[in-house]
Amino acid sequence: MILLSAKQTKEKQNGDKGVKQMATTVFIKPRHRVQVKPGAVVTLGEVAQMTGGDGGLIRRLKAIPLYRIQPSDKNIVIIDMMHIVRAVLDADPSLDVQMVGPSQTIVEVVYEKRRFSMASFLLVWLLLFVGSAMAIMNFHEDVSMQQVHRHLYQMMTGQSVDKPLLLQIPYSLGLGIGMVLFFNHWFRKRINEEPSPLEVEMFNYQQAIDQYVILHENKESMRHLDDA
Amino acid sequence: MTTLKVLLVVFVGFAGGLAVGTGFVAFLVVLGVIPRLTQLTKTTKRIHAYEWSAVAGAIVGGWMSLCHSVWHLSKYWLVPIGLLHGVFIGMLAAALTEVLNVWPILAKRIGVDDKIVALLMAIAFGKVAGALFHWLYFVDYFR
Repeated sequence: MILLSAKQTKEKQNGDKGVKQMATTVFIKPRHRVQVKPGAVVTLGEVAQMTGGDGGLIRRLKAIPLYRIQPSDKNIVIIDMMHIVRAVLDADPSLDVQMVGPSQTIVEVVYEKRRFSMASFLLVWLLLFVGSAMAIMNFHEDVSMQQVHRHLYQMMTGQSVDKPLLLQIPYSLGLGIGMVLFFNHWFRKRINEEPSPLEVEMFNYQQAIDQYVILHENKESMRHLDDA
Repeated sequence: MTTLKVLLVVFVGFAGGLAVGTGFVAFLVVLGVIPRLTQLTKTTKRIHAYEWSAVAGAIVGGWMSLCHSVWHLSKYWLVPIGLLHGVFIGMLAAALTEVLNVWPILAKRIGVDDKIVALLMAIAFGKVAGALFHWLYFVDYFR
């Protein structure tokens, strides 16, 4: 949580002038991630939640244009907190701006959604299907599982068989059950509402990407030597 | 001299067992299969019992594979054992794809966020089909 206040500097200015007046406080909380269309003008109301002052003031502030999406921006634009504060103070310098929450908003430019064709989906499906079948066969050969199974069969029953299918067919079905069980697919609704490892994994990946773009796409977060 | 040799062999055996045992536990911990099972069954309090069951299983399995004991049980005991064996290996395989971060990257790169369950099923069915094919046909031709 980051809390920024433009109050102190303003109080000083007011103090210098010898005028004491209560500034209207506006609380602004940037949203984490916003989707816009290409070429759109991003307004303050889209980027942040706001409260404080009267309804008219908030409505006026919400309409402040912050940024027009350029084709060169590609997918991601970062609106920095300082940009928001500057825009609000430009509109009304007497306001007391209180920033809460994330210190920037990730604006995602959504171009026309690429239709994912059925054919390529089937191709990926087959790729994974055949690939994992081959992988499990290689694994079995690698650990000599046939011999282990024969050995186990002999140990349990005292008889020696060439193909201990009584052990191996349940084993094969169990493989699939184990994978599905791990990803919590059957029990999701019934047993608990906790996210499955897959969902947590997707979330972590998205967080990492967000962190990256916040630092790398935000021109104000870094200063290089040649920027002067 | 012989006493020394015996002590040396005992030491080497013990050291080898220690190394393999720590490796096994490290593997289980990295893949997080046990926490996953406790989360599914809501039995987090019993996690120490689960630890001991993994340890006991390793000891019994190690002992059985080394001493070639024969039990003369009914062959139908092998059905539940095979099933449990498969579920365990399946969970290990699933955990491995998760540790390697396969899914998020697949979803992002190919853009199949909504169909990820179908792809998960592709892998699970692929494993079952591959394993059945291996035991029913493959082993006859490559021996």
